[in-house]
Amino acid sequence: MRDREELERFEKLMGQLRGLHDEISLLARKSSNDGLNAFKLRLINKVLATANAVLGASHRPFDDFDQFDPDDVPSTSDVTMVLAQYLEEAERYRANFVTEVYGNKWFYVIAGDITDIPAGAPRKVTRK
Amino acid sequence: MTLDTFLIRPRLTDYHGISLAQEDADFAIPFFDEDIPLYVDPFLLWRSPSMQDNALHEMLMGAFNHLGKQAQNGGRDTAIDILVAASECDEVGLGSSAKRKGKRIGRDKAGDILDIFRRIPRYATHGLGHIEELQFFVEGISKDRISDFACSFLKSFLIDFTIDQCTRLGIPTRSYTIGNVWDVRGRQFASVKTSLPADPTDERPLLFVPKRWLRFVPWINYEDYFEKHCPQDDIAHSAEELTRVEVLNYNRDNYGVVAAYIESKERSFADAKNDPLFSQIPVRSARGKLAQIAKLPTGKTDGADLKYETAIGQLLPSLLYPSLDFAQAQARTDSGVSIRDLIFYNTQRAPFLREVHADYGSRQITFELKNVAELERSHVDQLNRYLADDLGKFGVFVTRHPPKKAINQRIIDLWSGQRKAIVTLTDVDLDQMVEVFDSKQRDPLDVITKKYAEFRRSCP
Repeated sequence: MRDREELERFEKLMGQLRGLHDEISLLARKSSNDGLNAFKLRLINKVLATANAVLGASHRPFDDFDQFDPDDVPSTSDVTMVLAQYLEEAERYRANFVTEVYGNKWFYVIAGDITDIPAGAPRKVTRK
Repeated sequence: MTLDTFLIRPRLTDYHGISLAQEDADFAIPFFDEDIPLYVDPFLLWRSPSMQDNALHEMLMGAFNHLGKQAQNGGRDTAIDILVAASECDEVGLGSSAKRKGKRIGRDKAGDILDIFRRIPRYATHGLGHIEELQFFVEGISKDRISDFACSFLKSFLIDFTIDQCTRLGIPTRSYTIGNVWDVRGRQFASVKTSLPADPTDERPLLFVPKRWLRFVPWINYEDYFEKHCPQDDIAHSAEELTRVEVLNYNRDNYGVVAAYIESKERSFADAKNDPLFSQIPVRSARGKLAQIAKLPTGKTDGADLKYETAIGQLLPSLLYPSLDFAQAQARTDSGVSIRDLIFYNTQRAPFLREVHADYGSRQITFELKNVAELERSHVDQLNRYLADDLGKFGVFVTRHPPKKAINQRIIDLWSGQRKAIVTLTDVDLDQMVEVFDSKQRDPLDVITKKYAEFRRSCP
């Protein structure tokens, strides 16, 4: 990440992906084959467009998937699966820009410099 | 006479190439082969928030009560003539007749109707408040007659309404002389020359009726009165079944009971709503049908194919309403094999349906039902033969499992060679259609749109 603005954008994206994933996976648990209405799909596609731009070619989950086509009537479980993949990749991307300092504290690294912005430990570290 | 069209069970609008969903029309779209199984309920005019409808109801009652007075004042024969003439209104085509042609009442029956103005003092002085009250005093008068009387006396309005709708939609009309049009000033029936749409099967004129006036059973009706308001114990003390004639005789001597019933129905006017021309099955029932389909074996074991066709025949028209209006379940034979399919009118209500109309010329859409373990070449060939120019080149298979690669290729080849499109709906797609029918998140038609998009992507 080059500057704080980029970091802000990334954190917003993480929040949105997590929020959407939580909401849609609830719907998918209720009825996995149900469709999502055009309004929800439009918002999800907006977040995916940002995700594609932020993550770049190296961290995009699928090279042949950009967004959902409303004509395809994606089911709630389809959308959950894709959002989960994006969340994983976003987390992998984040791991490149955090570092641990003395005392088991994690901070963001911007343009190669350790900042004073606290970060969570990467999931690959905390995952048991 | 046969129709100059290959459409299956054409409606007036479809016959003239006008795509209109019944849901979007202000009137009940007439069929040529049978009547619309609904009736005009004059009570809906009385309770309508529209002053125009209220005024028409006033006019209807004014005309009818005038006949009562006329009969009492020495004009009985003339009044009988008018009542007999008013007792059928063939141009509207409502009811349960298969031939759009009804029978008029006899002079004796007309006399019976006029007699109630003499027999019941309230009517002699004030006249009837609702034409439906006739059902409680005269044998053989029920919803169909009430509807016909109303249509006959309101025919002038119906003519204007029909002309207005035809102009708006571009339905062709031709010149007719229509008899038995009530002349309010002259208080008699007259003939008028006007332009109306024609039934192409026999060139008879057609009249449209506003949907908001239609019900299966009038709000004020004999059965409801008999069950809930009629003091049955007072009329007959014996255990034997009470006949209609006994009840009608009782009513004549006890007008107060009928008046109380009418008053109670007037009080609950807010509940009187017109009936829809098509009612979707409830979500619960749709889920039941889906579960039933999922349990059926493929093939013909224990009549599984018939059960499958019946369940799909009940499910799809509801799922696809109002985007596609159901026309008919049809059985046909191809190469000695009996085939069942569902035919829908293409209403062009959705962009996808407009595309199907524009690209494949589909004025009707065929859904062919196949309860088979796997689709075969012969099935594709059968549907292909059926998708002729007149029916349009777009068809849908409703079957149990996705077709194999070779069959898919055959379907794609049909598109490549003849630009015919066939999409396949399987149990999984039906499940998704029922899901979205329940959740209301998407239109079940979108699932067919999806299948079509997938099909087009696989085409060269």
